[in-house]
Amino acid sequence: MDTVTIERNNPTWKVLLTLTLIAVIAVLFIIVAGCASSSKTLSQDDLEAMAQGIDKGLMCPVCPSETIDQSQVQIANQMQMIVREKLAEGESQDEIFQFFVDRYGAGILAEPPKSGFNLLIWIIPPMVLLLGSGVLTMIVLAMRRGHHGQVEEELPTASADMEPYLSAVDQEIRRLTQESTRDTTKDGPNIQSFEGKVE
Amino acid sequence: MADLGNISLLLALALGIYSATGSMLGVWQKSPQLVQSALNATYLTPLALGVATASLVGAFVSNDFQVEYVAAHSSLAMDTQYIWVAFYAGNEGSLLFIAFALSMMSALVIFFGSRTIQASLPHTNLVLMIVLMFFVAVMIFLANPFARLDIIPLDGQGINPLLRHPGMFIHPPVLMTGLITFAVPFAIAMGALISGKTGDEWVDAGRTWGIIAWIILGAGNLLGMWWAYTILGWGGYWGWDPVENSSFMPWIVMTAFIHSIMVQKRRGMFRMWNPALIIIAFGFAQFGMFINRGGPVPSVHSFGQSTLGWIFLLFMGLTMVSSFCVFFMRYSSLKSTRNLESALSREAAFLVNNLLFLTIAFVTLWGVIYPLISDIFQGEIITVGAPFYNQVNGPLFLLLIFLMGVAPFIPWQHASWLNLYRALMMPVVSAIAVAVILVLAGVTKPWAVIAFGLCALVVAGILREWVRGALSRHKRGESYPVAFARLIAGNRPRYGGYVAHLAIVLLALGIAGSSFYEVQRDIVLSPGESADVGDYTIKYVGANALERADRTEARAEVQVFREDNFLGSYYPQRDFYPAFNMASTKAAIRSTPIEDLYIIPGEFLEDGRAIFRVHINPLVMWIWIAGPLLFLGVIVALWPQKEVATAYARRPSGGTAASSGIVTK
Repeated sequence: MDTVTIERNNPTWKVLLTLTLIAVIAVLFIIVAGCASSSKTLSQDDLEAMAQGIDKGLMCPVCPSETIDQSQVQIANQMQMIVREKLAEGESQDEIFQFFVDRYGAGILAEPPKSGFNLLIWIIPPMVLLLGSGVLTMIVLAMRRGHHGQVEEELPTASADMEPYLSAVDQEIRRLTQESTRDTTKDGPNIQSFEGKVE
Repeated sequence: MADLGNISLLLALALGIYSATGSMLGVWQKSPQLVQSALNATYLTPLALGVATASLVGAFVSNDFQVEYVAAHSSLAMDTQYIWVAFYAGNEGSLLFIAFALSMMSALVIFFGSRTIQASLPHTNLVLMIVLMFFVAVMIFLANPFARLDIIPLDGQGINPLLRHPGMFIHPPVLMTGLITFAVPFAIAMGALISGKTGDEWVDAGRTWGIIAWIILGAGNLLGMWWAYTILGWGGYWGWDPVENSSFMPWIVMTAFIHSIMVQKRRGMFRMWNPALIIIAFGFAQFGMFINRGGPVPSVHSFGQSTLGWIFLLFMGLTMVSSFCVFFMRYSSLKSTRNLESALSREAAFLVNNLLFLTIAFVTLWGVIYPLISDIFQGEIITVGAPFYNQVNGPLFLLLIFLMGVAPFIPWQHASWLNLYRALMMPVVSAIAVAVILVLAGVTKPWAVIAFGLCALVVAGILREWVRGALSRHKRGESYPVAFARLIAGNRPRYGGYVAHLAIVLLALGIAGSSFYEVQRDIVLSPGESADVGDYTIKYVGANALERADRTEARAEVQVFREDNFLGSYYPQRDFYPAFNMASTKAAIRSTPIEDLYIIPGEFLEDGRAIFRVHINPLVMWIWIAGPLLFLGVIVALWPQKEVATAYARRPSGGTAASSGIVTK
C-alpha cells in the first residue's frame, strides 16, 4: 500500500523491479520447459504411468481408505487389470473412472468430483481463505487505527480501558465515512469526544 | 492383580475429585493449606495410576486370561516384549496409558508451575484434574481394562500382526502422550482466564508446554510416517487418512500457537487470540481422540473400534462450550495494551502465518467431515482422499514456506521496504538461482521447482543471518566457533526457531522430492531373472519360507545393481498370519541421501515366481533426518537462558516492561 508513494529514482525500487522481472522470466522459463517435456507420443511406459495415476484415483471397495494402488487384496488387483485393459483399448481416464462410478458409486473415486453438490467441498476452502484474509485485513486496519488513536505507547492503562469504546466508535465512524469519502479517519477518533460515553 | 487395578483406579478418581474440589474451595475460602493439600493430591495421582498400569502389565505377564482385555490382546505364543504394545492395542489399555501420562504431566506442571504461574496454579490444577477424572471415570464405568470374563479362556486371541513392528513400540504411545499433553497448555491458559490473571503471566509456561506438546505430537506423527513407510508396504508415508488427519490438525493449530505466543511474549499483543487458539488446539486434540476411538469415518487405523467415540465427542463439546464461556466472561480484560503499528511488521506477518495454519487445519477438518455432510444431504458417501488434500493444502504449504523465508527478517513494530530489501535481496537471488539451475538440470515440473526454490529462500535467509551474526561477533575478537555458539545462545527462542525451520525445509524437500518424482513399477521375476527399474537392475535370487508358531515368514533375496556395479543384497520379507488371515510386509529399503530404492514383496506364486513392487523415492531420507533436527531446535528454543541473562538484559529487547521482565528472569 505504501509502495505507490515511493519515487521512481530510488535505487531500491530499481533493484526490486529487476528482481520481479527475473522472477517472471524464471517462471515463464519453467512453464515453457514443463510444456516442452510433456509433449511426447504415448509409449508403453507412459501407459503404465497413466494406469498408476488412475490406480491412485480409485478406492479399494473393501478396504477402508486405501486406493487400489496401495491395497494388496485381490479385488484391487483385478481392478488394476481392468484399468490396464481399458487403457490398452484406448479408453480415456474419465471413461475408466465413469466405468467404476457406474458400478460402485461416486465414493469409489479418491478425489471428490468437481461437479454438482460436490463442488461444495472444493469451493469452501478458497472461500474460507478469502474470508479469513478479509477479516485479517480488517483487524490489521482496525489495530493500526487504534494505534494512531492511542495517546502514548507507554500509558497503557487508561487507553486499555477505553479500548472497547475506541474500537466501537472507530467502527461507527468507519461505517459512516465509507459511504461518503474514503480518506478521512487517519488520525483516529478524538478521545475527548467520547469521554462522556465512558461514564 | 485385577482387583488391585480396580482399587487403584477408584483411588485415582477419589484423588482427582479431592484435588479438583480442594483447589477450588481453597481459593474460595482463601486457605493456602487446602490448596496445598489439593496440589499434593495431584502429585499422588501418577502413583495410583502407576499401580493400575503395573497391575495390567502384571496380568499380561502372568497370562491372566480371565481379564477380558488380556484375553483379547495377548496369547501364550506372544513374545514377552509385545506386552508393551498389547498394553495399548485396545481402547481400555490406551485409556489407562493416556490417564497415566496425563497424571504425570499434571504433577510436572504443578511442580514447575509453583514458581512461574503460582497465582493461577489452583485453577490450572482444577482443569487438569477435570480432564483426568473424565478418563478415569470412562475407564471405571464404560471401558474397564480390568473387566473379567465369566469363563477363563485357555488362550488369548493374540496381537494384531500390523502392530508387531519396532515403530509400534514408540509411535502410538508418543502420539497419545502428545495428544494428551495438549491439555497442559490448555489448562495453563484456562487457569489464567478463570483466575483473572489475564495478562502475560501465563505466557512463558504456556509457550513452554505448548512447544513440548507440539514436539511430542510431531514426533508421534513422524514415527507413524516411518512405520507406514517401512511396514504398510505401499511406498508412501502419509495418506491423509482420517486418523492421520486427526493428529495432524491439532499439531497444525499448535504450530500456529507457538508462533503467535511469541508476539505476546515479546510485544504483549494477541492477548485474546492466544487463549482462543489454545482452546481450539485442545478441541482438535479431543477430536483426534474421538476419531481414534471409533469415530464415524472409515480409516486404515481402526484397531480399537468401539462406540466410545461418542462419549469423547460429548466431552469435547462440553469442553469447548465451557472454555469459550470462560473466555467471553474475561473478554473485556483480554484487550492488548498496544496495537499494531504497521501492516509491514513481524506482528502482522505472524497474523498471516496464523491465518494460513488455521486454514490448513480447517481444510483438513472439512475433508474429514465432508463424507458425513455428503451422506446427509445427497445420500451418497463420497471419498475425500489424498488428491483433495494435496491440491488444496499443497499450495497453502508453499505459501507458508514462502512466509517462513520472509517473515523472520521483518522487524518488529514497523519495517521499511528498505529493511526488507536489504534482508531479502540475497535470499531471493539465491532462490531464483536455485530454481534456474534445477530447470537446467532437468527438474521441470513447475510445482516442484517452486517448492525447491522456496526451500532455497528459507535456507539462504537463515544462513545469511547466521554468517552475518557470527562475523560481527568475530570482529569483536571471538573465534568463529565461539562467535556462532554465543550467537545462538544469545537469543535461543529465535535461533532454536531457525533450526526448527531448517528441519521443516528438510521435511518439505523430502515430501516434494518423493511426491513429484516418485517412480513405481511392478515386476514379476523367476529366480535368477532380473529387471530394470530406473537405472537400477534388480535380480531375484530366490526365497525361503520359515514356519513360526503363529506365522509363515517368506523372505526373498534380491541383488541390486547399477550400471553393472553390485550395490548389495536385500531381503524383502512377507509374513503371513493364518489366525488373522493377514499379511505384513517388511520392505527392503536402500536409503541414500539422493533417493530410496524400496522393494516390497507382493506375492510368491506357485511356480516359483515372485511379484515385487519397486519404488524409487527421491529425497525421502531427509524426512527422517528432519525429526531429530526439529527436536534439536526445540531444545535450543526451550533451554533455560540463565547464564546469559545478564548479557541479554543489557541489550534493548524491544519488549514491554512486563514481557522483558519475564524474558530476563
